[in-house]
Amino acid sequence: MIEVRELRVSYGGRVVADVPELDVGAGECVAIVGESGSGKSTTLLALLGLLPDAEVSGRVTVCGVDVLTAPPRRLRELRGARAALVIQSPQAALAPSTRLGVLMRRALRLHGREATDAAMAEAMRAVLLDPELLRRYPHEISGGQAQRFAIALAIALGAEVVLADEPTSALDVTVQAEVVAVLRGLLTERGLALLLVSHDLALVSTIADRVLVMKDGAVVESGPAATVLATPAHPYTRELLEALP
Amino acid sequence: MTMLRAERVTLGYGGRPVVHDVSLDLTEGGVGLIGESGSGKTTLARAFLGLLKPMSGDIWYGERPLREADRRRFRKDVQPVFQAEALDPRMRIGASVAEGLPRHERGRVAELLEQVGLDPALAGRRPHQLSGGQRQRVVIARALAVGPRLLILDEPTSALDVTVQARILDLLAGLDAERLLITHNLAVVRRLCRTSYVLFAGRVVESGPTAELLARPAHPYTRALRDAVPRLGGPPPEASGRTEAVPAATGCPYRLRCPLAVAECERAPELREVADGRRAACHRAADVLG
Ligand SMILES: Nc1ncnc2c1ncn2[C@@H]1O[C@H](COP(=O)(O)OP(=O)(O)OP(=O)(O)O)[C@@H](O)[C@H]1O
Ligand code: SF4
Ligand SMILES: [Mg+2]
Repeated sequence: MIEVRELRVSYGGRVVADVPELDVGAGECVAIVGESGSGKSTTLLALLGLLPDAEVSGRVTVCGVDVLTAPPRRLRELRGARAALVIQSPQAALAPSTRLGVLMRRALRLHGREATDAAMAEAMRAVLLDPELLRRYPHEISGGQAQRFAIALAIALGAEVVLADEPTSALDVTVQAEVVAVLRGLLTERGLALLLVSHDLALVSTIADRVLVMKDGAVVESGPAATVLATPAHPYTRELLEALP
Repeated sequence: MTMLRAERVTLGYGGRPVVHDVSLDLTEGGVGLIGESGSGKTTLARAFLGLLKPMSGDIWYGERPLREADRRRFRKDVQPVFQAEALDPRMRIGASVAEGLPRHERGRVAELLEQVGLDPALAGRRPHQLSGGQRQRVVIARALAVGPRLLILDEPTSALDVTVQARILDLLAGLDAERLLITHNLAVVRRLCRTSYVLFAGRVVESGPTAELLARPAHPYTRALRDAVPRLGGPPPEASGRTEAVPAATGCPYRLRCPLAVAECERAPELREVADGRRAACHRAADVLG
């Protein structure tokens, strides 16, 4: 579902992300871990062609679309419906004067999905949100509720690929467990491909099949999650593990 | 007497209460506020900062209600630490920090940057030219500018990766100011807060000394929080199967998710003392304590 080769993102000649190889198949979860500013989020955005000001080279295929060469229209079709992006603080990105329910209904219709009240309520409940919140405006919900709304939207859209940037950082661990369980369910039942950016190594160790460790824009280590996190080869991965509380 | 405390406050938006009858004393040694997402933690922080008026009850600032307080003195005493995203992207770091200083003290910027472990040479940069950890330090330096006695921190490290987070926690632990700290990270409250309050659906469901509260919870929700922390190489987080999105409207708000719920739980439990210095709102607190 996601295939990346020799991806290189730079600004004015300065390389901020260099990813030689990254594959996420249907039903797989791959995690990118590393320090803030190490290029994790940049990599995610590059996969959806969302870095207009950067120089991007290499080959990126998502759901069969060649992202770096595809015309804008194909990219728009890809984003949202087939490949959903869940960002850390979605509140600021949501249109402030539109109620959540209207936002969700519009997104569903735009991508030709069923937009019944029942379907929307079900997506909300899946992430432990009261469907009542659909009547609120984005600034009228808490940070964690906004994060869950973004995930509910991706679920309702039936995305095949989810790119998630710290999707549970604002959730308490009991709600996080429910949301992660929902995502795991989608991995096995719907063959979702999940690319997760997270600094929570413990969480990553429990759900990711493979891990990429990034530092200063480069991938310093990658491999099966169980191996990398149990017997880290790179000193930086060890440092990350030692910093765990 | 403590500097700031909430006495039976009910808080809400547009006439709809979201925090119910909460009393909370900002005692020494740091106070932690943990709990469900959407349970009212940020709302309480807003009220403590005087940004939201209680629907009933009062926030007390020393001997008088906060609404009658001298605002200038209050702002010197109590400062918020927001997430780094709140920094003005167009403003240079030095100018951001200087904003909090009286004109004749603007020269202290370098000293403040040093206090939070930043090279004063960074003063000329803009936020996007710093790392996430550096930006969070700038936000702390800004709050420290007026020499506050109390910091109110809402998720100060949740956007930071573990290595940076650890350094920011060291910094916070070394400051003189008292703190109210909101976080989802139990390791953070354990480290920085002597006392903790656990919120669920706008109510305090448990409070007490942090170490005891996490080692031996008295409320099923606190216990669920402690047990849901993912462990390295541990099993994937388990869904409880009791995925009720809406808290119960009557009786104990936790009863639709609670594995211990019994018929009695249809009656709302009072927050009461369950052990020395510990309070919980649960009919079965004694069973939970074990
Ligand atoms: N401006 C607002 N208008 C209406 N309702 C609001 C507003 N801000 C927050 N709420 C609601 O009040 C409740 C408490 O929100 P609050 O932001 O205090 O939660 P929180 O505990 O900080 O959550 P999180 O852990 O997700 O940050 C939530 O149900 C939220 O939807
Ligand atoms: S009062 Fe009953 S439902 Fe509520 S937390 Fe206690 S045991 Fe569970
Ligand atoms: Mg909050």
